[in-house]
Amino acid sequence: MPEAAATNPAAGVFEPKIVAFLCNWCSYAGADLAGISRIQYPPSIRVIRVPCSGRVDPFFILKALQSGADGVLVSGCHPGDCHYLTGNYVARRRFAVLNDLLEFAGIDPGRVSFSWVSAAEGERFAEVVRDVTEKVRQLGPNRKLLKEEVA
Amino acid sequence: MKGTLKVDGKNPEATIRSLFARWLKESKLSAVLAPAYSTAGTATVALVSDPEKLSEAAPLLPAMGVNSASIVAEIAREASPNAKVGLFLRPCELRAVVELMKLKQVAPESLLLIGVDCPGTYKAAGFRNVRGKDADFDNRHVREQSGYAENVNFRTACQMCEYPKPLVFDLNVGFVGMDPDKELWIEAATDKGKALLEGVELDAQDEPQKRKQALEKLSAARKARTAARIEELDKAMMGPEKLVEYFADCLNCHNCMKVCPVCYCRECFFDSDTFQRDIAEHVRVSLRKGATRMPSETLLFHLTRMNHMMASCVQCGICEDSCPVTIGLATLFKKVSQNAQKEFDYVSGRSLDEPLPLVTFRESEFLKIGEG
Ligand code: SF4
Ligand code: SF4
Ligand code: FES
Repeated sequence: MPEAAATNPAAGVFEPKIVAFLCNWCSYAGADLAGISRIQYPPSIRVIRVPCSGRVDPFFILKALQSGADGVLVSGCHPGDCHYLTGNYVARRRFAVLNDLLEFAGIDPGRVSFSWVSAAEGERFAEVVRDVTEKVRQLGPNRKLLKEEVA
Repeated sequence: MKGTLKVDGKNPEATIRSLFARWLKESKLSAVLAPAYSTAGTATVALVSDPEKLSEAAPLLPAMGVNSASIVAEIAREASPNAKVGLFLRPCELRAVVELMKLKQVAPESLLLIGVDCPGTYKAAGFRNVRGKDADFDNRHVREQSGYAENVNFRTACQMCEYPKPLVFDLNVGFVGMDPDKELWIEAATDKGKALLEGVELDAQDEPQKRKQALEKLSAARKARTAARIEELDKAMMGPEKLVEYFADCLNCHNCMKVCPVCYCRECFFDSDTFQRDIAEHVRVSLRKGATRMPSETLLFHLTRMNHMMASCVQCGICEDSCPVTIGLATLFKKVSQNAQKEFDYVSGRSLDEPLPLVTFRESEFLKIGEG
């Protein structure tokens, strides 16, 4: 398997793939700001823009992990600042129970991160990506949900 | 309004039937949904509207093949607003009805929730052999109460059930902790329930101490059993890939989903394009990886189903009974849903006023999420 060598954490070359669901009104703009300000962060994330963190169905997270993502990041507006007022509060409840479920399923909850990043927080966004990437790198490649795929 | 009701001829089941007859004749109810025996002697459910046909109903039948709440959703959809359908249901069925009401799937107007104690049921499949030719089996089941907590022939979910008495009801018929050859415990919790009791001769009194104690004792024994079962499950689940193993035999038939009383979408997410991979994608995956498992998505299905159901799951275990390859779904859902509901201090079906946990929130909770 050629991919195994490339993802061997011991060799220090493992670059995780992280799917990032970013809220259009804040974190997506925060990511943009990080880019415009030329702030460096690891190229590990694949961004999917969503209208609100409340749009992120836990299924998306499971599906991303099953499709081969090593980690998932969901980022929305700070509590109290949601463009739709309460989307992120409701999302937070969903994530709380999803965390328990992931743990039960033997998926390290460290693979799935949540953060609140505003449009003005370019530096914070970069930091979140750095942290999340490091966390997932420590955990190594995600095989768990993929295993059943292989005949 | 509460008190004891005299039982005639040592036949509590017949006494309950005569209550039904009275309510149908007085037009307090237009129909009763209740457990019944089929002509083949199997456990089923009947909707009875003619008092003459009430002999079909077996209100104390201790076997369960469906969670009747799934039938209630259909009835409520079709019933005319003036209908008054009495639902004679077990505690887990009533809890599912309450969840469906909160999910806006069941309009309460045309329904009366008539509960009955349930100390545990047998699987409907094979029950004919358990019952044999014993015509008094149902009455014996409510009379001989000493073995409830230990009965390992009850359905798995029942062995872990801590709610032998319904939590939400208009009227409840109780027998746990009573001497049901002599008297039943009747309790009306709402005006609707009180209206049913008009003209019924009760010996009004407070809930007998021995009944309270018996219920508590059973409940405590069940909680202990649950803890032991979950510990076993946790042990079985330790280590990587264990969930894959747990579901290794799954046929992907989705029976477990179809029979679930609180699974309510009319157009199922799992049939939608969001979930289903089209065959072209399978071919692509196969070409890329050399092989792909068909049917795929087993684990994704189960994790998503757990995620969908855990806030409202009433732990009735009917999913397990419907599984052709006997995957231990009852214990799994017991654990997963109990955990999820604990997070929100919620108990499915406990109250009509508590909002569903995933449509509400508090500003000052889960503050760690997003800050880590
Ligand atoms: S998931 Fe299973 S135990 Fe839970 S309500 Fe549905 S059928 Fe009952
Ligand atoms: S009923 Fe059993 S075999 Fe069918 S999908 Fe559910 S777990 Fe799998
Ligand atoms: S709009 Fe950003 S989280 Fe709701």
